[in-house]
Amino acid sequence: MTDTQQGDDGLGLTRRTVLQASGATAAMASLSGCLSWLDTDDSPVASVAAADTAYGNCWMCHHACGQELAVKDETVIDITGVDGHPRASAGPETEGTLCPKGLAEMEKAHDPDRITEPHIRRDGELEQVSWDEAFEYTAQRLEAFDDEHGAETLLNAASWATTDLHGIIWGNLYGTPERIGRGRHVCFGGPHLTGGLMGVGTDMRFVDYQNSDYIIAWGRNIFESFAGQWEPKGVLEALDNGATLVVVDPQHTPTAQKADTWLPIEPRTDGALALAMGHVIIEEELYDEEFVEEWTHGFDQYRAEVADKTPEWAAEETGLDAEVIREIAIDFAEAAPAAGIALWTGVGQYAESQKASQAVFALNGLVGNIDRPGGLRLWRGPPFSDPFEVRDIDLPNNAEGKVPALRQYEEYEEYPFRHTTGIGHNQVPEMVENGHINGLYCHYDNPLTDGNTEAWMEALDEMDLVITVDAYWNELTRRADIVLPEAIQLEKDTLIDYAPAWSAYHDRTWMTASKAAVPPQGNSKPGFEILKGIADEMGWGDYIPWEDEAEFNEDMLANVEYSFDDIAEQNYVILDEFGYEQWEENGFPTATGKFQFDLDEEGGYAQSIAELDAQYEEIDIHTGPQWLPPGTFGEAPDDEYPLHFYDTRAVFFAFGADQVLDHPRQQYAKKHGLAGEDYEGNYLVMNPSDADERGIETGDMVTVETPAGEGELMAYVSERTRPGFVTAEFGFGSGNSHEEGMNTMIVHDGQTDPISSQVDRHMAAEVRSGGD
Amino acid sequence: MEDPWMFYFDPNRCIGCHACSIACKQRHDRDPDADDWRTVTHLSRGEYPEFEQLPVSMSCMHCHDAPCETVCPPNAITKREEDGIVTVDRDRCIGCHYCAWACPFGAPTYGDEGLMSKCNMCLGQGPGSGHDQPPKERPEDGGLQPACESSCVGDAIKAGPRSEVLDHASEKAAVRFENDAYGGRVVVEPVDEDAELAAAVRENNTDQAADWLNG
Repeated sequence: MTDTQQGDDGLGLTRRTVLQASGATAAMASLSGCLSWLDTDDSPVASVAAADTAYGNCWMCHHACGQELAVKDETVIDITGVDGHPRASAGPETEGTLCPKGLAEMEKAHDPDRITEPHIRRDGELEQVSWDEAFEYTAQRLEAFDDEHGAETLLNAASWATTDLHGIIWGNLYGTPERIGRGRHVCFGGPHLTGGLMGVGTDMRFVDYQNSDYIIAWGRNIFESFAGQWEPKGVLEALDNGATLVVVDPQHTPTAQKADTWLPIEPRTDGALALAMGHVIIEEELYDEEFVEEWTHGFDQYRAEVADKTPEWAAEETGLDAEVIREIAIDFAEAAPAAGIALWTGVGQYAESQKASQAVFALNGLVGNIDRPGGLRLWRGPPFSDPFEVRDIDLPNNAEGKVPALRQYEEYEEYPFRHTTGIGHNQVPEMVENGHINGLYCHYDNPLTDGNTEAWMEALDEMDLVITVDAYWNELTRRADIVLPEAIQLEKDTLIDYAPAWSAYHDRTWMTASKAAVPPQGNSKPGFEILKGIADEMGWGDYIPWEDEAEFNEDMLANVEYSFDDIAEQNYVILDEFGYEQWEENGFPTATGKFQFDLDEEGGYAQSIAELDAQYEEIDIHTGPQWLPPGTFGEAPDDEYPLHFYDTRAVFFAFGADQVLDHPRQQYAKKHGLAGEDYEGNYLVMNPSDADERGIETGDMVTVETPAGEGELMAYVSERTRPGFVTAEFGFGSGNSHEEGMNTMIVHDGQTDPISSQVDRHMAAEVRSGGD
Repeated sequence: MEDPWMFYFDPNRCIGCHACSIACKQRHDRDPDADDWRTVTHLSRGEYPEFEQLPVSMSCMHCHDAPCETVCPPNAITKREEDGIVTVDRDRCIGCHYCAWACPFGAPTYGDEGLMSKCNMCLGQGPGSGHDQPPKERPEDGGLQPACESSCVGDAIKAGPRSEVLDHASEKAAVRFENDAYGGRVVVEPVDEDAELAAAVRENNTDQAADWLNG
């Protein structure tokens, strides 16, 4: 770098240009007294010091890191983290910070591209209207929809609301049983389902980091994709304390860089590695016999399954060295119970991921690290009260007795996952075609980012009523009938009720809250008030007596000594202590009350497996941990589509809503050395061997092709990815709010994990030089 | 001066997230696409799976010998006696880029009206705002913590008077600093993972760095 800057022609600077510039100096100096931007009295740093302090709870990735803001004239002029915050810091007495997303919420607060007025569709066109008109129109359309199609055919696709009021409005009051969420359906469905059934919970992602001696980040890039900054900070503390970090990932990541051992595994072979580790741990008699005996179910089945899964066998499947597998297994078991596995989307987004995650979770039961210091923590949330109970409101349940279409109609009998969940993301377009879903309420989430995108776009056109609450224009909002602009978290009073559990305080419950730091931009409104506006117009006002979110929040605090204002004034409070080994007292929340290797006692799951087993005559699919090679359900690369194509998450963006912001997008480009290009989309990361073969270089536009379609984006050629494995950041391109680049799901054709319903985001593809 | 302000960087704790760059840009109200006062460079080398990538966060280091000050034709750059912070008087700057030539860290940028601007350790906010500010105070004395330090997720960046920075540093890093690593301009922790990579970064071996960047 320095070389080029000091080179002869690096800056095109000659003595002549210097002299010419010097000649201008006198003129510049004489003007300077008039240039207000040079006037130090106006220094904005003085403003930062003199500005008002406000708080936020970062809602960019919804993991609520505490934000401290400097606010002047209703403008956020500075932003940083809150010290000691459970999510934004490493714990008590440590500094709080914000990641690039959290910092960029300041940009979002004043982003002129946000939607700030309600819109309704009249005569085919979206038209700006007042809130009164918007609410009135929404109510009319909802009533007409109920008359024509039945309320039960409206799909509630609300995500990341700061209260669960949407569940009350659409479920209890409007009366639809149709509901789709993120965790199970598009994010990490396999582990989400499996963790719940095996007994470690659906939030089985987090290790008791600071107490751990041995951390396996399994398909997890904790330093780049985290659920609150307490995670990377906790891992750094663990490393400082001498813990060992092992990373299992087909791609090199910042987490792999910091690992003691990086296992560059063949994609989708996590199950083979996990079963072989189990084999070694049993063979070496390193498992926790007492825990296995007293607290687990199905060990004999598991032991039989791993009997022939030697490290040598796994080496063939995973491409890893057998001795390394043996060593990791032994070290992990010897470090246990202070040894934990952090697993999230990497073993969550391919078609065989339910079985793969079951094989990984089995290791927790085997070594007895569950809810023990340094192991897999079972987190506990704070004791919120139910505002409806506090107000003694007798809520009806108008969805009672209604069965989701997936479970009701014979058209869906081919989907085994209908016994483990009520809906599948990829199957919604088919349900629309069948007339079983006719409308959608979407909040923040954008289904076009998450699979089967072309079919979803057509389905949105087909639906009779699409209501979106959103901040940006995109293919979803432009296709909607009603667009309601929501204020961002910094613009409203909020008590965070989305899983305030996992945090840097490993043995304490906590709460976090903040008051509006700035007023809502334009005519945008807090989501609570949007739902209340709809409810009032629908005649449900008596059920929602709270004026605003803060008042509602107050009634969530009946069990604690703090008021909403108390918490918001200090941003967070630390509450009661909770101990380890909670299963000693409560048992495990499973059919057998124990940790379950085998899920044979879980009725819905067992039924799914029985149906799947019948569909695949050549394989014996059963309820225990089991090896299913890549391609069993999902796609495997072949001659025509020889590359694995998979989407990834960078530290700069969460989902598809942050890519519109200039600061994080510019740094994403700079990280790839491509900030000088006109192109501002995502990059296709390819190994040089794949790129050379195709005549592709960094900065070239390329086309990704799968049987379902094509997409274009810019290539970034790097040794950080495995030969044969190409990846792209998701949330860019058509369908998303930042439309430049490629929507990774535009080439997706509905591939699904048949057991959990999770979108299989892993495709076989070919890449060629050039775009159209 | 006896205890000038300086920066400390620990590549072992840097997670390469660029929060420092964004925090700096936002505090100084600079355009997202402007050159960064604090950059994050990802040095890489090796072939998969023997691949390594090391994030390095850099800015103006407020050098004790401030080469930029020495070469500046109109004397626009000042190495301040009171706190050691290097500031630029944009009334005097002519945008000649000599300072960029002289700077070992690539710190000066020229996007703002063609005049030089760079890190001022948050003495002031905005290009040129550090000039003529009162002495820098520590956060505990009411001073503003530099935005990069304040937002460093990995706690890898520190700023402060030299004595405090050296107290925070490991013994190894302090010894290296005393032995004139990086010309005594910044305190950097030795890299744990790879001795060779560490040596090259430490010695500012630009050939190798360039190889990695191209690799």
